[in-house]
Amino acid sequence: MKILVAIKQVPERDAQIGITASGRWIDESDLNYTINEPDAYALEEALQLKEKNGGEVVVMCAGPERVGSTLREALAKGADRAIHIEANDLGERDTLGVAQVLAEIAKDEAPDLILTGLQSDDLGLGQTGVVLAELLGIPHATLIMHVEKTATGLRVKRELEDGWFQYVEMPLPALLTIQSGGNKLRYATLMGIKKAKTKETKTLQAAAAVSPSIALERVYLPEKQKETEMLTGTPAEVAAKLVEKLKFEVRVL
Amino acid sequence: MSGVLVVMEQRGGAWNRMSFEALAAGQQLAAKLGIECSAAVIGESVKTLVTELAGKKLAKVFAVQHGLLKDYTSDGYVVALESLLKQTGPVYVVLPHTYQVRDFAPALATRFRQSLISDVIAMHDGPVFVRQLLQGKLNADYKQADAGPCFVSVQAGTFRAEDVEEGAATVENFTPQLEASQIRSKPGQLFREVAHTVDLSAASVIVSVGRGIGEQENIGIVEELAAALGAELAASRPICDNGWLPMERQVGSSGQTVAPKLYLAVGISGAIQHLVGMKGSKTVIAINKDEHAPIFEVADYGVVGDLFEVVPSLTKALLAAKG
Amino acid sequence: MRAALKEALSRGWVRMVALVCAATVGARIAGAVLSSEIHFSATLAEPGKFSRLEVALLLIGAGISIALFFRRFGPILCIIFRSKKDKDFSLHPIGRRMWDFFWEVLCQGKVIRQRPLPGLAHAFVFWGFLAFALVSLNHLANPFGLAFLRPASYVGNFYFLFAAIWALLVAVSITVLFVRRFLARPIWLGEKLSYESGVIAFLIFLLMVSYLGAFFVGDGGAAVKALWWMHTLTLLVFLPLIPHTKHLHLVLSPLTVFLKRDGFSKIPPLSSDEDFGLIAGKDVTQLISLQVYSCVECGRCTEHCPASNTGKVLNPKEIVLGVQSYLNQSGPASDAPLLTEALVESRDNPPARYMSMEAAFECTTCGSCEYQCPVGIQHLPIIIGLRRGATNTGAWEDTHGTKLFLALEKQGNALGLSAMERDKFIQKQGFPIFDGTQEYCLWLGCMGGYDPKGREIVADFARVMRYLGTSFGVLKKEKCTGDPARRLGNDLVFQTMAESGLKAFEAAKVQKIVSICPHCVRTISNDWREYGIAPEIEHHSEFMARHKDRLPQQNSGESIVYHDPCYLGRYRDVYEEPREIVARAGELVEAPRSHERSFCCGAGGGLAFLGEETGERVSHVRAAELVATGAKIVGTACPFCNTMFRDALSSMGDAPPQLLDIAQLTARALPTMQKTGER
Repeated sequence: MKILVAIKQVPERDAQIGITASGRWIDESDLNYTINEPDAYALEEALQLKEKNGGEVVVMCAGPERVGSTLREALAKGADRAIHIEANDLGERDTLGVAQVLAEIAKDEAPDLILTGLQSDDLGLGQTGVVLAELLGIPHATLIMHVEKTATGLRVKRELEDGWFQYVEMPLPALLTIQSGGNKLRYATLMGIKKAKTKETKTLQAAAAVSPSIALERVYLPEKQKETEMLTGTPAEVAAKLVEKLKFEVRVL
Repeated sequence: MSGVLVVMEQRGGAWNRMSFEALAAGQQLAAKLGIECSAAVIGESVKTLVTELAGKKLAKVFAVQHGLLKDYTSDGYVVALESLLKQTGPVYVVLPHTYQVRDFAPALATRFRQSLISDVIAMHDGPVFVRQLLQGKLNADYKQADAGPCFVSVQAGTFRAEDVEEGAATVENFTPQLEASQIRSKPGQLFREVAHTVDLSAASVIVSVGRGIGEQENIGIVEELAAALGAELAASRPICDNGWLPMERQVGSSGQTVAPKLYLAVGISGAIQHLVGMKGSKTVIAINKDEHAPIFEVADYGVVGDLFEVVPSLTKALLAAKG
Repeated sequence: MRAALKEALSRGWVRMVALVCAATVGARIAGAVLSSEIHFSATLAEPGKFSRLEVALLLIGAGISIALFFRRFGPILCIIFRSKKDKDFSLHPIGRRMWDFFWEVLCQGKVIRQRPLPGLAHAFVFWGFLAFALVSLNHLANPFGLAFLRPASYVGNFYFLFAAIWALLVAVSITVLFVRRFLARPIWLGEKLSYESGVIAFLIFLLMVSYLGAFFVGDGGAAVKALWWMHTLTLLVFLPLIPHTKHLHLVLSPLTVFLKRDGFSKIPPLSSDEDFGLIAGKDVTQLISLQVYSCVECGRCTEHCPASNTGKVLNPKEIVLGVQSYLNQSGPASDAPLLTEALVESRDNPPARYMSMEAAFECTTCGSCEYQCPVGIQHLPIIIGLRRGATNTGAWEDTHGTKLFLALEKQGNALGLSAMERDKFIQKQGFPIFDGTQEYCLWLGCMGGYDPKGREIVADFARVMRYLGTSFGVLKKEKCTGDPARRLGNDLVFQTMAESGLKAFEAAKVQKIVSICPHCVRTISNDWREYGIAPEIEHHSEFMARHKDRLPQQNSGESIVYHDPCYLGRYRDVYEEPREIVARAGELVEAPRSHERSFCCGAGGGLAFLGEETGERVSHVRAAELVATGAKIVGTACPFCNTMFRDALSSMGDAPPQLLDIAQLTARALPTMQKTGER
């Protein structure tokens, strides 16, 4: 089974965020980047499927030069090949634009299955996978916890709200967006890194962007909307104050 | 039509409550822009639900019905809504940001060469749609850049279902063209992994415990507090992941969304995934030893202190007050 | 009856009494002999002429004996030589090797010091063997008429008497050791009785008795000839037994001690791109082969192992013997894995239990095993080598281990917390940022930067430094030294952390570092050497001890029991400095196992970050020992020890002793000062 995993490189979770002077995006100069966490789970799922069913795992990532390190990490974890789609203007494209870039590669690779993370840690739109599936004309399913290959295609476990789950049967080729936490992530090993040096990384140029349908006008720090009243004192004093609030303000006693 | 179309969500004849928040959002957007607001319900036979909507302030209510739409499938909903939208031509399509919407709305938007503006937390004049980036660290303003239609999904708790205006609407039946071959996936029965014994969404007082509790054995002190308050016990994701409390007590983006009268957060830092599940609460009280914990951003009352001292004191004071 | 006897003999004091009794009996016999009717001549009787037949028999016997010896010894030598070369081995510093050889082999320093009575007994046997060298040579030269020591001559007579005293000591000692092994049965010698040891003991006894006997018979008679043959046959039987038993150490251990890796717990760098650690036989190096064949099975390593003492599978002796048994079975070029993945209980393969991944990952790297070994076996490179083989290939799948490695990769600290937490702490404490103008860089480490108690220790040490007027700054950004990754065998993560750290120090132009954590100190000063030289670093106990006269002398009279951290004591040989600090704060009390025998707190080897322990908790065992001293305060010098004991002490009764780091003990007596930037 040939699996294509679309991964994204995002700023590290606890990076200090500063906004550029124009207010249109964040200051990227001092940031460390890493693989988007849900994509790491997608990669893990792909590697486990390969271990069970054989085949090939190809990772692709669109972005500037720095995404190379994330692709190498993916190779070190066990992916067979990497494709770097060079693009320095991803911020100017909307979801549709980004998905179109990925779709070009996916069409050439013609995989049996495409996996990607549920959403990205930076923009968090959670749509690229679905849009990519639509552009390729293949069926998709989102919020997948578990994937199993069957004679007719796939059987996937989908997470729903409120503790509900659902199994869905799908034909191949298909696209799945993977939810975090389904599998245990593996750590990058020395052996993996050494093997990665011998694996192929292809670099391609992204096609020119078309005008986007939505525009990100500006970013800013969220204003605090609530006035929080802080209660101070010894634990006993605080407890007394709280009981008073609960009695007279919140009125639950 | 060129107004606002709100896509409601139902399953097995019961509403997903968030639909009404989206409805309120749609009505408010339409009012701001001086255009009409309509709603659509999708399913096999949605007569009762549609009748309920007919009593709201809407221009039209579309009953999108087809045998193949009995169970949700992305293919079914996308094809059905695409034909509805082509026929009605709204400028704005508003949906609640549910798991289901995340599954089909992006595909639907793609059919119109649009990108969905998802998980909106506010709508300002423009219209400008506000989203959160970087796990809630930043807000971002989005605008429609071309002719549209503009697809928007609204985050839970952003709008209040109570704000839906009453009125009268005409009901219109819409039967889309759907072939069985167009539906490529076969969804199975819904199931729960553990017996569901607790309905947090119905509780009026919730005491919630987070990582600050340290060890499983310590949860007892929070249980005592909950008992003293007559509250339901809930937890943030790490507690449930560890197995210290059952998954059904999880509040957050991957657990339950609650809006009780009082939400008491004990030892919870307030990561965005948790906040999303409880920020609709009327009153929030937070106890945390870190004064910079994000939970204090949404708290009405905050206590910076050691929960191992504050919680027992509070329990004691409550029991004394109750007499 | 036997069970009762066994029960009684399991008590230490009973064993001592038994040994003393045996020794006394031995001496009594000797005394009786010396003053009895048995005619004792002060000279050794010489055997008379040897017939051609006798000479022929001797030559044939010797030939067979030597052939049998080499039949087993040859392959062992072969295995050792065919093992992979140690890439980082160097004979230098030769002085150190010579000293170790002199002290540990010739003086039997470690043997006696760490197990006094049995150690002394063994030392006598060893020295006796050395003293006997000339005697044995002379003995075998006799049939050829080439004897060079004449009992008649002054030198010869003196030497024979000298050797006789040794023979007596050896006979008594070997009897004592026999009684110890077969009657007292200390558990560290293993559960199975070693009959081969009994045979060897008997042979040694025979050698001595057959020598001493020659003092009681006349020259040239049948008696002396019989004794001569008894002695010779014993020798000829003994020789081939040597390579078949643990007595191979007679031949190998002097070499093993001499050729030891230079450094305690010295982990060799990976030798090539294909080297991932000890996965199979072909990864076992010559030093390791030599060491595992030198094992005397004394069990000193296991006796002091915190894992073995708390019911875990890990048994250092069995790991060494397991590697030996693997080499015997599969050889040094084999691809068969050294470790089994799961705990496979197998009657046919007992080593499997001990040579499992589970066992290998129970090691706290406390170093007691390596420290105690009298024949120069270095257990830590072996155990960590086994871990490397499992971790570097991804074979080790452990939830907590994975979480740790991912946390180190993503957040740069072992606790998986946001780096902003450290920033907040620095701000709150008003620590100056190191900018090249201050004398010291204060290294916080993961515990000092993120753990609440670790932070208290750092804050107090900062107060001490301010009080002493020493300028210091903290690095703006700190990542973990990589210690847990290093000890768990993850070379990829370790390399990343080490290189990042070295770069950070260089960029900030740091010259001197001080840290509250012995793990950080060890890793930066020692383990980082593989990738570069770090600025000099010392532990805060060393720093404070230098300034101890300026620190207030507290006269509280409180008893403080000091716990030697593994990474400060055995790893760095720092025992007295922390004690000097403790003495300034109260009355120093020693734990029963202290200094180089200090019992681990259980946190090392990355175990502080792994899941729940099986069996008894190491920290609880040690904490109980510390509490039992009756001291009011438990003094620590390592934030990990501190955290482990905090847990353990809180589960011990209502009024457990206070737990304070030496920095806290010192700072509590300092006048309260204005901290810059503190609210």
